[in-house]
Order: sequence, then structure tokens, then C-alpha cells
Amino acid sequence: MSDLILPTQIDLLHVSAVILLVATFGIVVRRGFSDWLHAYRYQTIILAGVVALIAFVTGIWELYIVSALTLGIKAIVIPKVLFYVTKKLDSPIKLEINPYVSLRISVIVSALLVTMSYFMALQLPISSDKTIAVFLPVSFSLFFIGLFIIISRRKALNQIVGLLTIENGLFLFAVVVTHGFSLVIEIGLMADILVGVVISSILLFRMSRTFDSIDIKNLESLRDD
Amino acid sequence: MSDFSMLEYGLGTLQALLIIVLSPLIVGVMRKIKAKSQKRTGSGIFQPYYDIIKLLRKDEIVSDQSSWIFRYTPWINFVSTASAAFFIPVFLVYSPFGVVGDILLVVGLFALGRFFTMLAGLDVASSFGGLGSSREMMVSALLEPALFMTIFVIALFYGGTNISTIVSSANDMSILIVPGVLFALIAFFIIMMAETGKLPFDNPSTHLELTMIHESMILEYSGKNLALMEWSHAIKQMILFTLFVDIFFTWNFVEQISLVGISIGILFFIAKVSALASFTAFIETRVAKWRLFRVSDLIAMAISSSMIGVIFFFL
Amino acid sequence: MVENLFLICAIFAFFSLGATLGLLTRGHKYHSYFTYIPSSFASFLTITLSLIIIFSESTHLTFFNIQHLFDFEIFIDGVSAFFLLIIGLISFAVSIYSLSYSKKFDDKKNNSALGMLFNVFIISMVLVVISNNVFFFLIFWELMSLTSFFLVIYEHENKNNLKSGLTYLVMTHLGTGFIFASFILMYTQTGSFSFDSFRDITIIPQHVKDIAFVLAFVGFGTKAGMVPLHIWLPKAHPSAPSNVSALMSAVMLKIAIYGIVRCIFDFNAVDGSTDYVWLGMGMIIIGSISALVGILYALVENDIKRALAFSSIENVGIIFIGLGLSIVFAAFHLQALSVLAFIASMFHVLNHSIFKGLLFMTAGSIHYSTHTKNIEELGGLIKKMPWTAMMFLIGSIAIIGLPPLNGFISEWLTLQSLLAVFQIPSNILQVSLAFAILAFALTIGLAGATFVRLFGITFLSKGRSTKAVNAIEVPKFMLIGKAILASSCILLGILPFIGMNLIVSAFNLPYMSSSPFETISITNTTDSNFASLMMPGVLVILASVFVGVFVVVRIIGGKTKTIKYGTWDCGFGNLSEKTQYTATSLADPIRRIFGVFYKPHNDIDVDFYTKENSYFKKSIHVISTTKNVFDEKMYGKTISGSLFVLNKIRKIQSGKVNAYILYIMITLIALLLFVGFGAHE
Repeated sequence: MSDLILPTQIDLLHVSAVILLVATFGIVVRRGFSDWLHAYRYQTIILAGVVALIAFVTGIWELYIVSALTLGIKAIVIPKVLFYVTKKLDSPIKLEINPYVSLRISVIVSALLVTMSYFMALQLPISSDKTIAVFLPVSFSLFFIGLFIIISRRKALNQIVGLLTIENGLFLFAVVVTHGFSLVIEIGLMADILVGVVISSILLFRMSRTFDSIDIKNLESLRDD
Repeated sequence: MSDFSMLEYGLGTLQALLIIVLSPLIVGVMRKIKAKSQKRTGSGIFQPYYDIIKLLRKDEIVSDQSSWIFRYTPWINFVSTASAAFFIPVFLVYSPFGVVGDILLVVGLFALGRFFTMLAGLDVASSFGGLGSSREMMVSALLEPALFMTIFVIALFYGGTNISTIVSSANDMSILIVPGVLFALIAFFIIMMAETGKLPFDNPSTHLELTMIHESMILEYSGKNLALMEWSHAIKQMILFTLFVDIFFTWNFVEQISLVGISIGILFFIAKVSALASFTAFIETRVAKWRLFRVSDLIAMAISSSMIGVIFFFL
Repeated sequence: MVENLFLICAIFAFFSLGATLGLLTRGHKYHSYFTYIPSSFASFLTITLSLIIIFSESTHLTFFNIQHLFDFEIFIDGVSAFFLLIIGLISFAVSIYSLSYSKKFDDKKNNSALGMLFNVFIISMVLVVISNNVFFFLIFWELMSLTSFFLVIYEHENKNNLKSGLTYLVMTHLGTGFIFASFILMYTQTGSFSFDSFRDITIIPQHVKDIAFVLAFVGFGTKAGMVPLHIWLPKAHPSAPSNVSALMSAVMLKIAIYGIVRCIFDFNAVDGSTDYVWLGMGMIIIGSISALVGILYALVENDIKRALAFSSIENVGIIFIGLGLSIVFAAFHLQALSVLAFIASMFHVLNHSIFKGLLFMTAGSIHYSTHTKNIEELGGLIKKMPWTAMMFLIGSIAIIGLPPLNGFISEWLTLQSLLAVFQIPSNILQVSLAFAILAFALTIGLAGATFVRLFGITFLSKGRSTKAVNAIEVPKFMLIGKAILASSCILLGILPFIGMNLIVSAFNLPYMSSSPFETISITNTTDSNFASLMMPGVLVILASVFVGVFVVVRIIGGKTKTIKYGTWDCGFGNLSEKTQYTATSLADPIRRIFGVFYKPHNDIDVDFYTKENSYFKKSIHVISTTKNVFDEKMYGKTISGSLFVLNKIRKIQSGKVNAYILYIMITLIALLLFVGFGAHE
């Protein structure tokens, strides 16, 4: 019988990184509009948890506020807005039916992107701190997977989710590397995202009115020939 | 062979027999839980035993199109699956037969059984069997990378593909220490669901051509042969469950060989496996059968999960 | 070493006897006996010779010179002997098989040519392996290529065979060109054509060495069928008569592996410097791609012999993976692992020869009694040809690496050496090699599917055409030939140490040689048991479980009756051979998933009773096609590109005599200028 070994801080960080990565994969494998938003929400909640954990490990109290803000704005308000948009959309099929890259390939590609992120994080000379060592590659992964989502999918809503994933990655990067900017900047950023989401939601509405679909292929017709 | 005492060989055989004998019980438990969650009473948890005994006593009908492949497949399938049980530790941290073969051999033995099952599906000249074999071909071929990658992760973290080595070093570690193992766990769980024909992959409780994979291959069987097929499927499930709890939930292995210790060990083992079985049954009631070609997405998830597990080991 | 010399002479004598008798007894009733009995004797002597050399403690060297022209040296060390063993074993089985198989061509006019070429083909392979000199190596290599070319086009009535023979001829000479270039490069360094000097030279600039390696690898790789230079293989191997296909796939590919082993491990012993990592990685990558591509195309192929040829590509890929791993490990001073990977690779060479020879002979038997190679027309043969079916089953189980047959052992060893990559001290290599497991595992999985399909469609269920229904079991010499290899599969599977000991002493590897009942065990860095495998033990467990379950079932179940009845037809009746799954539909799910490789296409042609009503269909024709992306994209583009260029060049040849004189003049001036400027420098 083995004694249960109590996890140390670094283990907690590692495990939270694992959970965050798994949640990110949740966005990649889902097909329905509301599934993405759910997955995004879970991811953001976990991200808030991760930030709180970093605050606990580093002992910077401001990060707790950042974490709470993240939870409030990104995990509650933004999904609310987007859920509202999804419900109001005209298109009857709320699924990513035929993405540019099939789901199974995207999952494998995402795993490769994660691998690449870990290698890149090794190359960077800044990984001295343990939080940086653990989360820097994760933030890269989020960033790249977000980019990949934008590249590989057809629906505009998914592009927004991809953008938000990138944003989450950048946010994590900022928190980990700088241990929090000043709170004002943080709040400003949050407001920025909120406005961004609202604007893109309006665009989504317009798009779905005009084209009867939110397939970004329609945007190709905007090209001046 | 190396230096194990007769007692240990006896215990090793006992471990294998436990897996073989208890496997229908776990099937019964899962059925009961599924029935309960669907607001049905369901049959008793010992029903699979009665089924097997009844079937063993029945005369069988064999298709006149079939050959010896069809008739001997249940035996080959059962023997290869049940032999795999000898390499799995149950209440000891090792199996005295561990030197004979490793986890790759267990995979190979499963594959041998599956190879013959697929052939038997084709042997009866009906389109059902061919359908099952065709789908099983796809699922098993795609599953192989996920399986080997997961074995790779486990072998890296626990220093070997020998199951006794894996379990004894897993016993010395806490799962939280190694985040890579978490990924292996996810991958292994998906593989387990696929290998045992659980819901997102295969719906074992219907005989509907849209959903079935495993059932359609054994559709022609009756009597003794059907009993052997069902039983070996149960054993396979039991082996995978046991491996899962052996590797990832290593509590309460017997350290000193004593009657009390072993009894407690067996009880703990049954509790762990039943808990896992309940969890699996719970998952099964929560999900619907996925479209055949989306199954590959799930397998891709297992593959990428184990890939990330590898990264966590190396970096 | 007099007895070795004597043996060699006897081998030559018997093969030549077979060849000449083959020509002389043309049209004779028993001509096949005159041809193939000498060749089987000679093959048996080859086995004896190789075993003597592998296991004799004394020097592994026999030597005699003919001091004219070039030195014709014969040098048989363990490496040559190991490949001689493969040649001998397979040729022995195939010769016996051919005693009956060649009756298939009795009504052909040139039936004796087959026997003659067969003997010459084998002897040329023997000579390639034992010659110790660039000049003779290449001559015999060329002899081997040419005889096999003539054998490929032996059934030249079929235009397709001629075409595939031409592809073969072109590709094999491309390969020979690379080999030639590599040897010439070595010659510029050593100043001698003898392999001994290649072996002895110590100082060669690294870049020359690298180029020589790559050239040799590409050259021999072409012959071995590595992707993307594999295109000839699935065309040529099926076109030849089946006994020759067995030799080509089982033995000739191994001669190419022999070339690689010679060039890389013998001429320039790969030592512990990281300079060779890229070479090993290249081989692993090429090997993985070959394995995957080979098996993917084997899976959808309906021609049984072509499917087997594709599967040869796969197995060559697995062999390359093992060799590459061996190089990589050696580069990082991981001697034990390097030996492990090398044993795995060589064991797979041996195993693949055995089961691929077996499978090709079985495919030949099917062709012999049904006159078709298309598995869509077969089915139900297990009842007509029970022994052939048994042999094919054994071959299938062995080739897809299932216990307890020999394929499992070599794939187990290869996997174990892949699993050991964590000992390489380089992160990027570790991770990329770890991902190579994905390709390898997928290959194994798809191989399983392939042989389920081949065996299931060919031998099981109902016959799909009259050809299959009227089939009868083949003559017994054909069965004996197959049985020899099938029993080798079983023997090497159950007692793998027979094969491993053979390899260890043939290649002088630093590995403990032990009794055949030993456990294969691999320890990890902390000396605990990483993995172990004891096949006799596995067999004991399997047997005792069988006895146990038999007794239990008998006690609980008692005696029951078995009733024969029709297959369940959902109550509709009319189950016919048309309602079975076909080979194409069986592979359809995989075909769709890997659609990138196949470009699957269905032509559906529906005929209605009345044009207006599209609900009542009279007939539906579905033609399902797949394409070979490599043939179309790569070679199609290359060929059309070169045709374009050649067409331009063609304009030079105008037919006017004065234009030709002009060319000569231009050439002359150019040469003079060249010499003039060369003199200044």
C-alpha cells in the first residue's frame, strides 16, 4: 500500500496546465456552435483558476482581482453575448459541417502545435521561474491553436472563438511573464475584448442577414475584381 | 523461468482465474446500472452467468456456408483472451507470469482474437458479418496508433512494457506527480471504450445494422460458441478495466502474502473495478452513438492526448 | 576451407545443370523434374554452406583468384552467409513448389525457358552475395536484374506484363546507376575495385562518405522498393509467374537490403559519432513512409499478388526503420540498443522472406487452380483448397505480427527498440522518433485489416464466380513447398532464439547467445526488467488455458448437438453470393478515411423502369475506383515533363546531314576550347 504523496506546488501548476490544455482541445473537437461557446467558457473558467493559482504561488494579490475579472467578463458576459447571437442567427444548422481541415486532422495538428510550443519555450532564454516554465508553452499552445482554429474553420462564429482563444493565450503569457500588468491596463484590456466581441457579434448578425449564412466563404465576394 | 515459488505461481493463477470468473459479474453490474439510470429494474447482476451456463448447454446451429474458421474462432478467441489474463496483476503488484510476456503480447493476443472474429464475420456469407468486419477493421486499424502511443507513454513513465514493472513502479508514485500520465489516462480511457465496444463507438445492446460493430460479427453464433464469444468479450473488458485500475489507481496492493491481506486485496480490487465499471456505464448513458466516421475524431483525440503525454515526459 | 570451396562448386554445378537440362528437355514430359530437382539440390547445398560458415569458429573466408582481367574474389563472411541462408531456404521451398507449378505453362512453347531463367536467377543472386569486387558485384547484379526482367515478361502475351516489365527495367537501372556512382566514388578514394580495400580504408573525407552512403542507399533502396521509388515493384512482382514472384519478393528485395548492410555497416563501420544521425533518421523517415504507403495501397488492392507486392513495400519499410534506429543508437554510443534494433531488423528480413515466399506461393496456387488473381471473383476456397487456405492463414498471421508466429517476434523487437528511444540524449530526436511509433502502429493495424480482407474474401464465404466454385486443391509438391516455409514460420515464432542466435553469430554481434528456450529480455537503465518475452511459455499458457476451458465447457455444457442450417437471412430468403460483402466494400471505411491517398471515386449509373418515376430502379451500376496518387501525381508529372523537354531536344535531330556535321564541328570546337583552357589552369 503506498502512502498518498501530497502534491507540491509545481505539481499543482503542472496539473492545472494539463487541464487547461485539455479544455483547449475541447474547442478543437466540437462541431456545434453552442458546444464551442461552452468549451470556450470552460476554458476561460479554468484559465481564471490558473491565474488564481499563479496568484497563490507568487503571492501577488492583484492577480486575484485579475482572475475574478476574467471570470466575470470572459467566462460570463462574453459567452452570454455570443449565446444570444447564436440563438438569433437565422441559419437552421448550427454546426461546422465541412471545415477546411477535418476534425481528426485538426486534433493531430493541434497536438503537433503543442509539441512545437514546448520546443519553442525551451529555446527561449526566459524560462527561469517555475510558473514561466510551466505556463509559457501552454500560452504558446493556446495562441497557435487559436490561430489554427481561425485558419481551418468556415464559420465566422468559430473565428471569433479562435480569436478569443488567441487572446486567452496572450493573456496567460502576459500574466505569467510579467506577473500582472497594472490593474488599470488589465481592466482596459478586458473592456477592449468585450467591445470587440460586441462589434463582431453585430457583424455576425449583418452577415447572417445578408448572406443567410455565416460561412466566411461569402466574404470572398468582397474582393474587388 | 526465474525464482518464484509454487505459492506465487498459484496466486498468479488465482489472479487470472479471478479475472476470468468475475468478468461476467462486471457485465451484470454495468447492465444493472444502465437499467437503473434508464428507470428500468433490469436483470440481476448475476444474469450473465445464467446466460453463459444456459448457452453452454444448448445445441447450436451452424451456417452451412461456414468453414472451420467459424467453428473454431470462439475457442481461439477465448483461449487468446483468457491467456492474456495471466499477465495482469490483480491484487499482487506483479504477476509471476510477467516474465513470459509484456503488454505488447497482451495487445497481440487481443489482436489474434479479433483477427479470427473478423474472419468469422466474413465466413458466414451474410452481409451482416461483412459489415461488422468492415467496421471493426477500420476501428481497430485506427485504434492501433493510439494504443501503441499510450503504451509508449506508460512505458516511459513507469520504465518498461512489462506489466509487473509498470504496476510496481506505478504503485510507488502518486498520479499527480506526473501530468503526462493524466494524458495517458485520457487516451487509455478512450481506447478502453473503443476496444470493449462501448457507446460512442459501438452500441452493444442493439441488433440494428446502423449501429452495430461487434454484435454483427457474432450474429450467427449460437449455443456453446456464442457463450464462449460473449464470455471472452467480457474477459477482454475485465482485463482492460483491471489494467486501467492497476496503472492509474494503484491503491491497496497486497505487500505481504497472507490470507487476510489477499482477501482484502481481492475485495479492494472488486471495489475498484466496479467503481470504474459504474463510471463507464454512467458515461454510456450520457452519450449517444457517434456516426461511424466521427469515431475517428475520438480516436484522433486519444492519439493527440498520448502525443502530449510524450511531450510532458521529454520536456 | 576445402569443403566450402567444394560446396560452392557443387552449388554452381547443380544450378547450371538445372539450367542446361531445362533447355535440353524442352517439351519433355518430365522436364520440370529435370529443371527443379537440381535447383532444389543446389539450394539445399546453399543452406548447408551458409550454416557451416555461420557456425564455424574458424575464419569466415574463402578465397580464389583468377588473375586475368579483374580479380574474381569470393568472400563469404557471416553477412553473406546469412543472406545465402535466405536464398537457399526460399529457393529450396520454391523449387519443390515449382515441380508442380510449372505444369501450368506446359502448353506454352517456351516452357523450358522458365526453368532455365529460374536457375540462372538464383545463381546470380548467390553470386551477388558472395562476390567481393565491384566489377563482379555489378555484373552479377545486372545478371540478376536482367533474368528477373525476362521472368517478369515471361507471360508476354499479356500486354500489361510487357509494360510492367519495362517499368521494372527502367527503374532497376536507375537504381544500378546510383549504386555504380556510389562505388565509383569509393573507388576514387581507395584506388581499387576490391571490397576489401573499401573495408580497410580509414580516412575518407566525411562529405564523400556521406554522398557515397546516400547514393548507395538510394540505389539499393530502389531495388528494395522504398517509397517513392517503389513504383516498379507492385507492377513487376505480380506479372512474373508466382514461383518467380515468390523469389523476387522474398529474396531479391533482401539482396538489396544486403547491399545496404554491406555499404553502411561493413564498408564504413558506423561508429559513435553524431555525424551519422541524419542518415539513420533519413532511413527511419523513408522507412515509415514506405511502410505506411505500402500497406495503404495493399489494403484497397483487388489483385491478390499486387496486394502482396504492396505489402512487401511495407515490410521493407519496417526493415528500414530497424536499420535506421540501429544507426541512430550507434551514433549515440548506445551499443546494446543498436544491436537490439539491428537484430530486430535482420530478424524481420528473415521472417519476411519466409512468410512472403509462402504467401506468394499460396497466391500462385490460387491462380493455378482458379486462373484469376482478382479476389472479387474468388471466395469459399477454404472448402475447396483446405491446405492452401491453412498455409495462407499461417502466412497472414505471421505477416501481420500476431503471436505466436514469427512476425510477432520481429515486430515486437522493432517496437521495443522504438520504445527505447528515450535513452537518446536529444529532445528533438526523442520526440520525433516517438512520433514514428504512430506510423509504425498504424502500419501494423492496417496490415491486420489488409490480411483479414485478403484471406476473408479469397477463402471464406461463398464463391463469387464459377472459377472459384470449380477450384480444386493443388498438387502435393506445391503443398510441400509451402509447408516447408509455413513450418519455419511456426518454428521461428515459438523458438525465436533459433533465428536470433543465427543472426547474432552471423553478424558477430556482442549479444549473449543462449539456448532456444531462453527468455528475450530487455533491461532498462536502472537494470530492472523493461520487457521480456518467452514464446515457449506463452505457448504453454495458451495450451493449458485451452485444456482448462475445454474441460470446463464439457463439464458445464455436457454433450450438445450441432445442426447445420442456412445463414440467417432476416426472413427474406435468397441469400446469394451477390449479397455478401465484396472486397471493395470491405475496405470502404478505411478507403474513405485515407481518401487523400486513394482519391476514391464512385461512378453510379442508375437505370429506371420509367424515366418519370425515379423511385423504381431497374438496375444500379456502381463502379468504384481508386487511384494511385504516386503513379499519377509524381510519375505522371515527371514523365510528361521529361517528354516535353525531350520533344524540344528532338528538334535537334533534323535529318539534314550538314546539320549533323555542324554538331560535330561545334562539339569539336567546344572540346578544343575546353582542353585549351584546361591546360592554362
